Amino acid sequence: MSITFTKNKWEGPKGVFIVSPDLCKGCGLCIEKCPSQVIDWTKETGIYGTPIVGAKRIDRCTACSICVLVCPDAAIDVEKNKM
Amino acid sequence: MKSMPDSWRRETKPHKFCPGCGHGLVLKALGMAMDRLKIADRTVFGVDIGCSLLAWDFFNADTIQTHHGRTVPVIIGAKRARPNLVGIAYMGDGGGYAIGSQHLINATMRNDRILIIIVNNTIYAMTGGQMAPTTLKGQKTETSSRGRDPKYEGFPLRGPEMVASFAPEGAYVARGSVSHVQRLARYLERGLENQLQDRGISVVEALSTCPTNWRTNAEDTWKFLEKEMTDYYPVGELVSPFKRDTQKEAADLETCH
Ligand SMILES: Cc1ncc(C[n+]2csc(CCOP(=O)(O)OP(=O)(O)O)c2C)c(N)n1
Ligand code: SF4
Ligand code: SF4
Ligand code: SF4
Repeated sequence: MSITFTKNKWEGPKGVFIVSPDLCKGCGLCIEKCPSQVIDWTKETGIYGTPIVGAKRIDRCTACSICVLVCPDAAIDVEKNKM
Repeated sequence: MKSMPDSWRRETKPHKFCPGCGHGLVLKALGMAMDRLKIADRTVFGVDIGCSLLAWDFFNADTIQTHHGRTVPVIIGAKRARPNLVGIAYMGDGGGYAIGSQHLINATMRNDRILIIIVNNTIYAMTGGQMAPTTLKGQKTETSSRGRDPKYEGFPLRGPEMVASFAPEGAYVARGSVSHVQRLARYLERGLENQLQDRGISVVEALSTCPTNWRTNAEDTWKFLEKEMTDYYPVGELVSPFKRDTQKEAADLETCH
């Protein structure tokens, strides 16, 4: 069975930042770990009815994928732009 | 980088752990290790009583939920009956170091060919945050409201160090942390390889988070894990039967997050 999750996308100079409201529980761990302060809260709520995150300052995103690694719910994807 | 390992069962996601729970990260690291070794279809994954049981439907792997503290003997039984299976026993620090400590000791003594993963979040999480063998000195919990006092409650237990002190030849013992998921995934992969090569037991502790019972926000959750916990519980490999190129190894771990 192939399951897909809803995607919120932000396109930046280095890549695309994707968050799924079906998965994000709003823990905020990614906000703390992003070395470029890209991630912040949005007005949207996710699967637990809690505020979820977005790439508010996407221009600063280096597509390093640290946020992908630290999300316990695998709610973030980062697609690096091809050089 | 893949956000969800292939061995994760997608239709059961979002998983059942609280927001910010470290179990999700330990299981991400384990999923990465299982993917690399392509073993999910022959793995038997055992979960304990405690928050670890919330992973009963987590992987595309056969899973069994056991009585509290008994995950190790159940997985040993499966492994002895079917040696081709990959046996993984997954539990909390209460399950591993309190009620199930006899099994940890006897399995190590016998060098049983399984991987034991103990998730150290310094408390009994599922029952509401009571003191565990791993609760830090001075740490407040539901049952140590003035903070753990070593005079009455003893010092926090360093599990991997205890296991390493009598680990037989071929054993693999390490402590990782969810603040370095890739490194933890490497340790778990080595633990699994050790079993696949029929060398000996593997015991990996994972320092983890429980924002719900710690009552911490994201910033303080990382701080407690990376400062207080890591100061008392050093991360690294304690016993390893692998002969390695240490320089390459250091470089490899250097690039890990
Ligand atoms: C034989 C037995 N004793 C006690 C309990 C109550 N109990 C349920 S979970 C738990 C401890 C869980 O803590 P831990 O093993 O550290 O796992 P965590 O929830 O922190 O992941 C206890 C004592 C039980 N279910 N069975
Ligand atoms: S990819 Fe790196 S820079 Fe971009 S949001 Fe994630 S952590 Fe921040
Ligand atoms: S770490 Fe994951 S679940 Fe937590 S706020 Fe960030 S995207 Fe959401
Ligand atoms: S109580 Fe703690 S360990 Fe259990 S699921 Fe919630 S955050 Fe995780």
